[in-house]
Amino acid sequence: MNDWQPKITTFLCHWCSYGAADLAGVSRLQYPPNFRIIRVPCSGRVSPKFILAALRHGSDGVWVSG
Amino acid sequence: MVLSKTPRYIDESRCTSCGDCAEVCPVLLPSEYDQGLTTRKATFKKYAQAIPGAFAIQKADKAPCRLACPAGLNVQGYVQMVKEGKYKEALQIIMEELPLPGVLGRICPHGCEDACRRVEVDAPVAIRDLKRLAADQFDPREIEIPCAPRREERVAIVGSGPAGLSAAYHLARRGIQSVIFEALPEPGGMLRVGIPEHRLPRKVLDQEIELIRNLGVEIRTNTPLGPDLGVDDLFDMGFKAVYLAVGAHRGIELGVPGERAQGVLQGVDFLRELNLTGKVEVGNKVAVIGGGNVAIDVARSAVRLGAAEVNIIYRRTRAEMPAWEEEIHAAEEEGVKITYLSAPQEILVRDGVVAGLRCIRMELGEPDSSGRRRPIPIPGSEYDIEIDQLIPAIGQTPDLSALEDIAGLEFTRWGTIEVDAATYATAREGVFAGGDLQTGPWVAIGAVAAGREAAESIERYLDGRDLAEGREPVRLESPVYRPIPVDEPKKPRAKMPELPAQERKTGFSEVELGYEEEIGKEEADRCLNCGYCCECFQCVEACGADAVSVETHSRMPESVELEVGAVILAPGFQPFDPSRFETYAYTSHPNVITSMEFERILSASGPTMGHLVRMSDHAEPKKIAWLQCVGSRDINRCDHGYCSSVCCMYAVKEAVIAKEHAGADLDCALFFMDMRTHGKDFERYYEAAREKHGVRFVRSRVHTLDPAEDGHSVVVKYSDEQGLFVEETFDMVVLSVGLETSEDVRELARKLDVRLSEGAFCLTDSFRPVATSREGIFACGAFQGPKDIPQSVIEASSAAAEAGALLAPARGELTREKEVPEELDIRGRRPRVGVFVCQCGINIGGVVDVPAVRDYAATLPYVEYVADNLYSCSQDTQEAMTAVIKEKDLNRIVVAACTPKTHEPLFQETLVNAGLNKYLFEMTNIRNQDSWVHKDDPESATEKAKDLVRMAVAKVALMEPLQETRLKINKRALVLGGGVSGMVSAKSLSTQGYEVCLVEKNGELGGQAVNLFRTWKGEDVKERLETLIRSVQEDPRIDVRLDTELVAVDGFVGNFKTDLRSGGKTDQVEHGIAVIATGGREWKPDEYLYGQDPRVVTHLELDRKFLEGDEAVKKARSAVFIQCVGSREEERPYCSRVCCTHSMESALHLKELNPEMDVYILYRDIRTYGERERLYRKAREAGVIFIRYGVDQKPRVSAGKDALEIEVVDHVLERPVVIRADLLALASAIVPGDTAAVSRMFKVPVNEDGFYVEAHAKLGPSEFATDGVFLCGLAHYPKPMDESVAQAQAAAGRACTLLARDSIQVSGTVAYADPTLCSSCGVCVDVCPYGAPSFVSEGPFAGKAEINPVLCKGCGLCVASCRSGAINLRGFEEGQIMSMIEEI
Repeated sequence: MNDWQPKITTFLCHWCSYGAADLAGVSRLQYPPNFRIIRVPCSGRVSPKFILAALRHGSDGVWVSG
Repeated sequence: MVLSKTPRYIDESRCTSCGDCAEVCPVLLPSEYDQGLTTRKATFKKYAQAIPGAFAIQKADKAPCRLACPAGLNVQGYVQMVKEGKYKEALQIIMEELPLPGVLGRICPHGCEDACRRVEVDAPVAIRDLKRLAADQFDPREIEIPCAPRREERVAIVGSGPAGLSAAYHLARRGIQSVIFEALPEPGGMLRVGIPEHRLPRKVLDQEIELIRNLGVEIRTNTPLGPDLGVDDLFDMGFKAVYLAVGAHRGIELGVPGERAQGVLQGVDFLRELNLTGKVEVGNKVAVIGGGNVAIDVARSAVRLGAAEVNIIYRRTRAEMPAWEEEIHAAEEEGVKITYLSAPQEILVRDGVVAGLRCIRMELGEPDSSGRRRPIPIPGSEYDIEIDQLIPAIGQTPDLSALEDIAGLEFTRWGTIEVDAATYATAREGVFAGGDLQTGPWVAIGAVAAGREAAESIERYLDGRDLAEGREPVRLESPVYRPIPVDEPKKPRAKMPELPAQERKTGFSEVELGYEEEIGKEEADRCLNCGYCCECFQCVEACGADAVSVETHSRMPESVELEVGAVILAPGFQPFDPSRFETYAYTSHPNVITSMEFERILSASGPTMGHLVRMSDHAEPKKIAWLQCVGSRDINRCDHGYCSSVCCMYAVKEAVIAKEHAGADLDCALFFMDMRTHGKDFERYYEAAREKHGVRFVRSRVHTLDPAEDGHSVVVKYSDEQGLFVEETFDMVVLSVGLETSEDVRELARKLDVRLSEGAFCLTDSFRPVATSREGIFACGAFQGPKDIPQSVIEASSAAAEAGALLAPARGELTREKEVPEELDIRGRRPRVGVFVCQCGINIGGVVDVPAVRDYAATLPYVEYVADNLYSCSQDTQEAMTAVIKEKDLNRIVVAACTPKTHEPLFQETLVNAGLNKYLFEMTNIRNQDSWVHKDDPESATEKAKDLVRMAVAKVALMEPLQETRLKINKRALVLGGGVSGMVSAKSLSTQGYEVCLVEKNGELGGQAVNLFRTWKGEDVKERLETLIRSVQEDPRIDVRLDTELVAVDGFVGNFKTDLRSGGKTDQVEHGIAVIATGGREWKPDEYLYGQDPRVVTHLELDRKFLEGDEAVKKARSAVFIQCVGSREEERPYCSRVCCTHSMESALHLKELNPEMDVYILYRDIRTYGERERLYRKAREAGVIFIRYGVDQKPRVSAGKDALEIEVVDHVLERPVVIRADLLALASAIVPGDTAAVSRMFKVPVNEDGFYVEAHAKLGPSEFATDGVFLCGLAHYPKPMDESVAQAQAAAGRACTLLARDSIQVSGTVAYADPTLCSSCGVCVDVCPYGAPSFVSEGPFAGKAEINPVLCKGCGLCVASCRSGAINLRGFEEGQIMSMIEEI
């Protein structure tokens, strides 16, 4: 189990968190490569269906940020 | 107007903001953005989110060391390279000018070090020794010297000293071959024969001559000029030009009797013989005459050759001695005796041989032409010494014997050759000369420079070009350099390791051993980088996008001339620098920081990534103190009498955020005089800080900060409100620094002839708050007066409106229509996806395996074309993409590159150019969110990139072309409210050329201003108001509707239909925008005997009495003001903002009317923000008495027999005080008018106090979230006249951004509803902040939801909240997002 890595589906608001993730890059902060980012126009766009779908398709976690 | 534009030195259009240039830049500077808490490079971006993202280079004038060097070596550049351990690069920089780095690295007298500004901190940087270190660490022979293609012409050079060698080197680089004719058996000139080996090992010289020979230079030794070889002979031999550089090798005689005796040998002759043969005859007792380096060289050589006694005789003192101090010191160490203030008079000769020397003592007289004090013989002080060898070394002169007869050459009276100062051309065509032959004995680097210049001249001569053009010497009158940091720590200059003195005498081993690498790097790190950028050009090497080059580096400031109709000044403020207050220990204590620094510490992108620590030991603080009014409200120490307006609020905010970061146990204390939280919702925040977050507020005066014993904490010593002296220790102290106008901005104001106020802010008028004293120039923001963001943004829009009014007649004149190719109809076609994967130089390609990602993309469904680009955003790639889209008939595009936030519009334009709808595009971020953040895990980064591309391809295949709805704009405006705000707004819209319907519910215009007496600046309100009303009434574009009410509003931005009712009749007005200026009113108090006793009045009532000249007021013996009546209480927990200032004005007016009157102001906090503080000071000076009360101990008012009796508990005395007064003025709150109806009709929100809620507290203060509806004045929040006027103009200015257009185009990314699925629940209507969804009113789908695409902002809130799945969002359709989720 030690080399098991979670896969995390991430919904980021275009206006804030997505920009923050860009800034993390500009600042060359290093973080684990387990996140797959889906850009949404607003975290309000994230329907509960998306979260369920992500889990159903094998995501180990879902992160909504906005 | 003429602007001076500083170049960026980087081509903005090519820069991809990857930062590779900054990575290699060696120059570290404090980061202004992080308030100096971190560093940045000279190549930099101000902060990570900066727009445009392109980097820039900071430069000042060329560093003083570089200017001081005769050859102009880029000293700062190579010093920085040495600091980085990049010795090869250091040599490349040095050898741009100088082919002899190891030689000059030893023997150069380093004029650069004399110019080094580090001396102002401690001692100059050891520049020469660092040059040597570079040459020690990397063999200069290995440096590749770029040379132009070889030409046919050959040049003869006479003399192989530094001038000749340099000329040959620089000619070779220009492709011109030369032959050097050298008289002596070995090349090198004075470098070889004038300098003993203990200073310059032969090997070093040989190697560097070798590198010159390697360029094809031929050196013929033992070939002197003479009868057999003259200049004519050289031309006859086919040389096209001749360079004469024979040096100055003849020693100057002393001119005393006995100089021909045996045992007298010239210093230069002594050294030449020694250097060429390895030996020379030396006496037992040697006297050396002179004080230069030659004298020292001779003396030190004599010691090595076995002389028992070596005595240097010098006629001045050590202070005047031209030899280098380290040389003199070394000579003494080696046993050389130096006799100062003595001169030879006669050489005592016995049998033709030197036997002694008669000397005379000297004393120093007046300074001579060289600035040194002239030595004067002391009569009768002669004395004799016994010697057997005398070596004069008082100077050299060129030996002209072989040149004198050459036709066409001219000589000076000092025995040197005559040449043109810039071109080094002699009087004879084709013959050039330089070096010591031209200057007389001078430094080697001077000869090197002369050689280079001669090479330039010779090339021009061979080309037949003008020799002099463009070579005039440039002299900088007052160069501008990086200021030396005040806190630059002292670092001692590195000592050069030396051979022990006892080991030196036995031979000519090199004495100076050279720096160890680490020591050298540290030494180089002492460089202050005077010029900022050091021009090492490492960035040029590093930039893969060709955005920075030697050409961009050499750009000059540009003068830009603009023809403009208006100017807006928004130069901002500078934070007050507390360094000048010793009591605050800011410079001496690391844990005393400014609020600006604290902001950075709290920031996630700051120096500690938002981790709250103190700077001295990075420990988490447990107690933090804020000191208010640092640099504000202080005329004793800093000359800033004004209040900076923003510090109370930001300090409260900082304290709350600090507690949020560090947890509730963090103790935050604010030391303040008056808490000024007068902005909208600020008072609530202040209350929450105190009550909910437990921030302590200490009303006090702080007098000193002292370091605590633990070495980290700070002891705050202050007096509390009762005047008691208290000490408390904190881990950290934050100085809440104020705002001030910088000297630069004051200078700008002087240049523009714009008048400033007492506090050095821009002087403006309350009725034109952004107009400066000069017509057509407007000011906004903190330059207009200290203020916060909302007010600054209001003024910004206000200034835009003022400028717009001036420019209205010219509107649209300079606009150009963009040509767009016709869009292809791709409906019904199978997706053909093109995937472009960007390398971004090495930014993506260095981590992610881009070819692998590209090849992987080719395997995905619908993908027809894949490519990888070095820089996808470059102009040529854009063109190539357009072509390939057309050629391959692609109809969906994916770009895997950087972030869509900056680059999506660019690629969308490429699609449009290729005839595709711009929404058939998906961008995926494999740089900012992949390669940059997973640098150490290329494998995972590549996998992630593949996943992201797969997700993007899945989504893009489902993308459909979207239409951007166009909507016509009705250019008429509706302004609701006929007060000052409404009228100013209407007037502003009308001057910009738009028709306005101004609706006022009462029978007259003027609103609350009718009751006002004066503004805080002293302007007469009545007079100005009448002018305004008249101008509105007379304006043909303004349709004034009095006694009119709003009945109904229909429509939306650009197309409103509003029903108005007047006198029982209703009519409809169509308009494109609406400004809501429904105002506010004074609260009628229910306390303090108001309404019961005629002596108790409100502010407005008192103003009316002033206007009417009421006699009773004048006769009052005593007047009292009570502040915060109805404000800052539970029922109305906001500050009414204007009342403190109003009371000051009224109190001062009472004192004007009757100076004998006793005037009291009972207050909770005095909030005379900004320059209004002056009124508070004037009131105190006028004798107004201020008594503070607490909200829990409010004053009590009773009607006494012949006066009112007001009892208040004085906070200082802690005892009740009774004041008898004839007049009591209540500073009553401002409450909004009736906002409920308008709020409902225009679908705009109001807050719990009844004021309207703007779109954004900071960035959208004059508009509603609902498009096309704007607000201003008291309806927004209580505010004084000048701020109401500014906001009224701002609302008009914002409205004009819509009215100026014939139509608006909305984004294609909007929500849409399917009425067949809609269950009419209404959730979408409720959740939408923009009022876009509504119910269909008629037809088959009546009652179902529909969404107005014009109002929709595309957030998708309604989509996610729709329980029927009836709503979807174009561009982010459910199916599209699901397809991405499925591909994860």
